[in-house]
Amino acid sequence: MFNIEFNTLAEALLMQSQNGQNHGIYVWSVVLIVTLCISISFIFYKYKIKEISKKIK
Amino acid sequence: MEIIKFEFLKLLKKSRGWLGPILVFILIMVAYPLTVEVSDVELSQSFFSILWIAALLVVMLATEDIFLEDFSDGTLEQYAILQKNLSLIVGSKIFVYWLVIGVPISMLGAIFCVGTTSESAFGYQILPVLLVSTYIFMNVFSFGNALSLTKGSVLGTLVTLPLLLPLLIILGKVVVAINFDLNYSGFLFLLLGILSIIIMIIPMIISYIIRAHLE
Amino acid sequence: MFQVNRAYPYIFYLSLITYLLSIFWGLFLTPEDFVQGNSYRIIYLHVPASFISQSLYLAMAIASAVYLIWKVKLSVYLVRSIAPIGAVTTFIALISGSIWGIPTWGTWWVWDARIVSTLILFIMYLGLISLHDSFNNNEKADKFLSILVLVGSVNIPIIKMSVEWWSTLHQPASITLSEKPAIDLVMLYPLFGSIIGFTGLITCLVILSSKLQIIKREKNKSWVKDYV
Repeated sequence: MFNIEFNTLAEALLMQSQNGQNHGIYVWSVVLIVTLCISISFIFYKYKIKEISKKIK
Repeated sequence: MEIIKFEFLKLLKKSRGWLGPILVFILIMVAYPLTVEVSDVELSQSFFSILWIAALLVVMLATEDIFLEDFSDGTLEQYAILQKNLSLIVGSKIFVYWLVIGVPISMLGAIFCVGTTSESAFGYQILPVLLVSTYIFMNVFSFGNALSLTKGSVLGTLVTLPLLLPLLIILGKVVVAINFDLNYSGFLFLLLGILSIIIMIIPMIISYIIRAHLE
Repeated sequence: MFQVNRAYPYIFYLSLITYLLSIFWGLFLTPEDFVQGNSYRIIYLHVPASFISQSLYLAMAIASAVYLIWKVKLSVYLVRSIAPIGAVTTFIALISGSIWGIPTWGTWWVWDARIVSTLILFIMYLGLISLHDSFNNNEKADKFLSILVLVGSVNIPIIKMSVEWWSTLHQPASITLSEKPAIDLVMLYPLFGSIIGFTGLITCLVILSSKLQIIKREKNKSWVKDYV
């Protein structure tokens, strides 16, 4: 259950499937987009709260 | 009955309100064949989608100032103060709008359907669907325009158009059923069911919104 | 509010760790899917987002019903603060779905019921925000916002059932409450983990956003001045 599918980092980046296609680009771009969206919204809200607190003070 | 008669006369007086949308509908239906290279097959292929979109747009235009005039000259406020049944008034207003604008549009749509598609039987098959769907459109767009009463109709349309898109999927299914000569009455009853719920609920919601506007 | 503030870091770090661990598990430790190849690993990012995007709308509907019935002001602040986060998650679901579509369906966009209804959900979130922001009178805007959310909630069951009602390219839901999951257990555990973790992260976002909303709307009250 816990054996790692990919042996090297390059293999993990490419993610070659059995039919020979490289699916890595799709998977990693989705990972990138999700991380970006979530972290940007966290930063945005933290910044906004800080800004409005400063204004009220 | 009195309310309906009153609203009817009021709408008829204002010819821009009812004649305009109908003329726009005719213009859209006339403009459609011009954009296609004239051959019957291509014309009839996407005729129905143009028909639904045109009906949607025209109803949207027609309900644009359904409450605005009454709101700005204080009629709605009078109704609300008099403790009359506001939702009944709203419902009859929508009914009158449908009678004056929705029914002619449906007739015209059926006529254009005979003229544009290859089979003339489509015309009277599509007519009941058109009648029901324009009434639903009328209700939902009145809701949107009540929401954005003083803010212009773009906002109301933006907000209510997403609610109508599932309905358009059903209408697309109806067209497929008619094209393949299947029994489409199931879809018609589905639409009627939706309509019966909407007729009950939308006027109540709209009267609540109008009261909130008047506060 | 003060209790939530105390609990916030625990929720945040726990769910972040859960999410990262299950994403790592899903991306590297699970076997390759026989049909879809490695591209199926997008499921660990796509399913949580689309699940959350619908659940958030449900939460908004409940909160606006609470507002309309009991006039609880906080619940409508919650509605307003959830809307942009719902838009973000729906955006993630749409983008990840369309990227997933390229290797598996051969096209990035299909006009089928599930995808279109998710797009409708996205537009609805944006419409809600623009409706609320177009009124200067906050109380009026609150009322209209909650009415519109309630009316719009008729779309949620349609989105839920669209995969079963209409024949589409989109696969039916992998996990349902009532039936045995249509997915192998090895792949299921990280999926559950990622859903739970993502839910926690989004909860943290909602907490932050509603904090901002509360401070913004109550900025003239004295307790806000004491708090910040």
